[in-house]
Amino acid sequence: MAKRINLQGNQACALGAIAAGCTFYAGYPITPSSEVAEAMARELPKIGGTFIQMEDEIASMGAAIGASMGGLKVMTATSGPGFSLKQENLGYASGAEIPCVIINVMRGGPSTGMPTRPAQGDIMQARWGTHGDHAIIVLTPASVAECYSETVRAFELTERLRVPVVVLIDEVIGHLVETVDLDALKPSRLVTRKFADGPAEGFEPYAVTDDMVPPFPRPGDGYRSHTTGLTHLPSGFPTQNPSKAEAALVRTTDKLDLHADLIEAVEVAECDDADVVIASVGISARAGQAAVADLRSKGVKAGLFRPKTLWPFPEAALKAATKGAKAVVVPEMNQGQMVLEVERLLKNKSVHGLGKIDGEAITPAEIVTRVTEVLA
Amino acid sequence: MAEKKNGPTNVLIVGVGGQGVIMVSKVLAMLCQNHGYEVKQSEVHGMAKRGGGVFSHVRFGSSVWSPTIPVGEADVLVALEWAEALRWINYMNPQTGTFIADTQKIVPPFACRVRDRGADAMYSEETPAEIMENVRAGYAMDATSIAEDLGNLKAANTVLLGALSNSLEFSVDAWLEVIRSFVPPKSIDINMEAFAKGREWAQAGPKRVDENAKGRGVSGRDLHKQVETKLEITEEWCKGCDICVKMCPERCLRLNDQLISELHKPDACTGCRMCEWLCPDFAIKITNTPIMEPAE
Amino acid sequence: MKDSVNEAEFQINDYIRLDQMPHFLCPGCGHGIALRALLWAVHELGIDKDKLAVVSGIGCSGRLSAYVDANSFHTTHGRPLAFATGLALARPDLHVIVITGDGDSLAIGGNHLIHACRRNLNMTCMMLNNEIYGMTGGQVSPTTTSNRYTTTTPAGNTEPVFDACALATAAGAGFVGREVTMQVTGLKNLLRDAIAHDGFSFVEVISDCTEIYGRKNDLGVSPEMMLSQKAGMRPEAYRNTVDVPFKPNALECGMLAKNDRPEYGATYRAMVDRIRGKGA
Repeated sequence: MAKRINLQGNQACALGAIAAGCTFYAGYPITPSSEVAEAMARELPKIGGTFIQMEDEIASMGAAIGASMGGLKVMTATSGPGFSLKQENLGYASGAEIPCVIINVMRGGPSTGMPTRPAQGDIMQARWGTHGDHAIIVLTPASVAECYSETVRAFELTERLRVPVVVLIDEVIGHLVETVDLDALKPSRLVTRKFADGPAEGFEPYAVTDDMVPPFPRPGDGYRSHTTGLTHLPSGFPTQNPSKAEAALVRTTDKLDLHADLIEAVEVAECDDADVVIASVGISARAGQAAVADLRSKGVKAGLFRPKTLWPFPEAALKAATKGAKAVVVPEMNQGQMVLEVERLLKNKSVHGLGKIDGEAITPAEIVTRVTEVLA
Repeated sequence: MAEKKNGPTNVLIVGVGGQGVIMVSKVLAMLCQNHGYEVKQSEVHGMAKRGGGVFSHVRFGSSVWSPTIPVGEADVLVALEWAEALRWINYMNPQTGTFIADTQKIVPPFACRVRDRGADAMYSEETPAEIMENVRAGYAMDATSIAEDLGNLKAANTVLLGALSNSLEFSVDAWLEVIRSFVPPKSIDINMEAFAKGREWAQAGPKRVDENAKGRGVSGRDLHKQVETKLEITEEWCKGCDICVKMCPERCLRLNDQLISELHKPDACTGCRMCEWLCPDFAIKITNTPIMEPAE
Repeated sequence: MKDSVNEAEFQINDYIRLDQMPHFLCPGCGHGIALRALLWAVHELGIDKDKLAVVSGIGCSGRLSAYVDANSFHTTHGRPLAFATGLALARPDLHVIVITGDGDSLAIGGNHLIHACRRNLNMTCMMLNNEIYGMTGGQVSPTTTSNRYTTTTPAGNTEPVFDACALATAAGAGFVGREVTMQVTGLKNLLRDAIAHDGFSFVEVISDCTEIYGRKNDLGVSPEMMLSQKAGMRPEAYRNTVDVPFKPNALECGMLAKNDRPEYGATYRAMVDRIRGKGA
């Protein structure tokens, strides 16, 4: 019998993590993501895992990476200001290629902003929050079931590709309670990073392999390798040689291009004949879904394009979905972040933003109004 | 010894801190007091802590004015340690003095002048036999070994008192009575025996040398095995910081004209490892290989 | 006190990455001496290099991990204790040693230090105190002596200093000690006891920055700085002696605190066992 329960988005992230094999969580309390930590504190000891509440956001990111360096599947969760604080160590995880999953439940900003109100203001920060060019994957679930399944997918990607994965949800999705069938969501397989198992002699922790994802040397297995946030050679030791440094950096970003098929995930609805495509993520995309139905009922050929993987942005899928569209509308709970990427990719299309930063979710009616304006 | 016509009898007791110089002189002073003499005892101690020189002048007679014995006027020199005996030998009356010394050697730390591992300490080279040729009467005895044979090293002082008893006109019983009052009750028997042994040893004649006495604790080899030291410098790692040059106790390293450390006095190197331990660049390696001494 | 279990003679070349040598530290930098003492302690305890994890932060001290032939992690500025906390909890089979500096652990990472002391997780933190931010060119640090010149205190340092050991002790570290580099064997023994201690151990090493700090303050070259540091130390034997005028011996050295508070990792694992219905 299906195991249908009422579950909150934040808790679904925690259960998804456990199902994906996460055995270490380090966190720090912050609204509106604290339920993730609370659920992990409850669930992890039951499976012999480790939960620790660290002294601050920076430390919790550091401890998570530290545990991952030890070979465990790890996660942390945060929100708004906490996500800002985690950025430096997030960059470390990207540069040193340490697998980790970060849940960011977006709230109003800047600064303390509106802690209990939803926003989607971290779309650009999730991509470019840490300094320097770096590889990162950002997933954007739009339902409680997806909070679970996308967290599972986040673990699959981070473990498979050795790149940090951010699960970016807004406060509405995080605190939303929906009925889900956990059995149906349960992952059929567990993806774990490839640990180095060859000879220790001459082992290079960042060797260029066919899949561009070097095997992970687990401490204690005899490799005694060096891990650093400095730009490093395949040997793991720092370099400032221009060509070698560039090659090392480019490999970490190129590996995402190489594995684009694995990473990319979108929901495309009714775009085939659409004159107008609503491109959006999270709770705004759900409003967009309702708006599409409303517009269709009024005779407007509208479609929905919803990235589940927001970064790297699903460029080809967007272009395919908007091929016949005259206009694209991008509703988002910020002053226009995702719309910049859509404009960049669809240079010859009429792209329109719909921003909102008042601490309320965007309604389907607002989208319908905006689409009507655009088509007028 | 006949009582001197002029002035008091002088006994100089010397040794190093911790041996019991003061105790020996107190025994003697008490004995003289018991016989109605006027006694003056003058001592220097405490400055030297354990291991440093200690001396005590004991003068007794019908009347004693000065507390200290002038150079060349000691009737008996009692030395609890060999080098101290030699240090004070000029206080002894060359015509009438008697020399009583334990051949035990206690090497002071500052006598370790050669810092080679296992090197011998600087110490008086004269043998007891050589010294004995130049004194009128005397006993160079291994009092410590005699006491050790009796079961207590500390009784060496009493062995020397036994030898001293031959030079002074007090009865054996008088000596034993005083000694009994000074030593701990449980070691009375050993001290009685020690006194008898010492007295007996010195009755053989005016001079006697224990030819077998070796002295103790002189050879550094007893403490440290001799080694051959190899000092290697990895020049590519040395940054010329000067730490090894300045910290070397033997000053046997220097910087060459490339400002790289080099060993310029290999013979002075003792293999102490100071340079190796303090080199921040791990550029110095010391290997100390024990030298196998040929079997005797 | 745990005595040496490895009787073989210590050879530093067995514990460093020879292909990374010579290291990048300035001539006369005391950090190298401290690293020798640390590896010597590791050797005497007979710790398997494969089971040794060295975690460091940023700065001159942070670079040391790269020279240790072990599982080494050069992390972010001030955060090595946070990374090490995760690593030590995840892998109780590893010997986790953190190498950090005065700026790294007292300024930017001060919060992690006090909480690591409080938590008492089994690891050793060796803090190299050279009173300066050397890597960035010589800025004032939380331990820069009063009135000393740095690039950011051109008229002399007017801020008070941190006593790192007092801080660690107050925060509850299981083992706290301090030593100067000149006393390299004493430092080795202190580190050995620290690593052997079951809980969080903190060792402050008074190191010299000759090239930047020493030069700017006319403190002499390395041997002179090391000797003056030694002259200022107050070993355990001096604890109860009266101060000598003009020779304050203010720097308390040796083991300064030791307690047997429960080690956090074991406490947590016991709780997990209880929840899972195992054990007592």
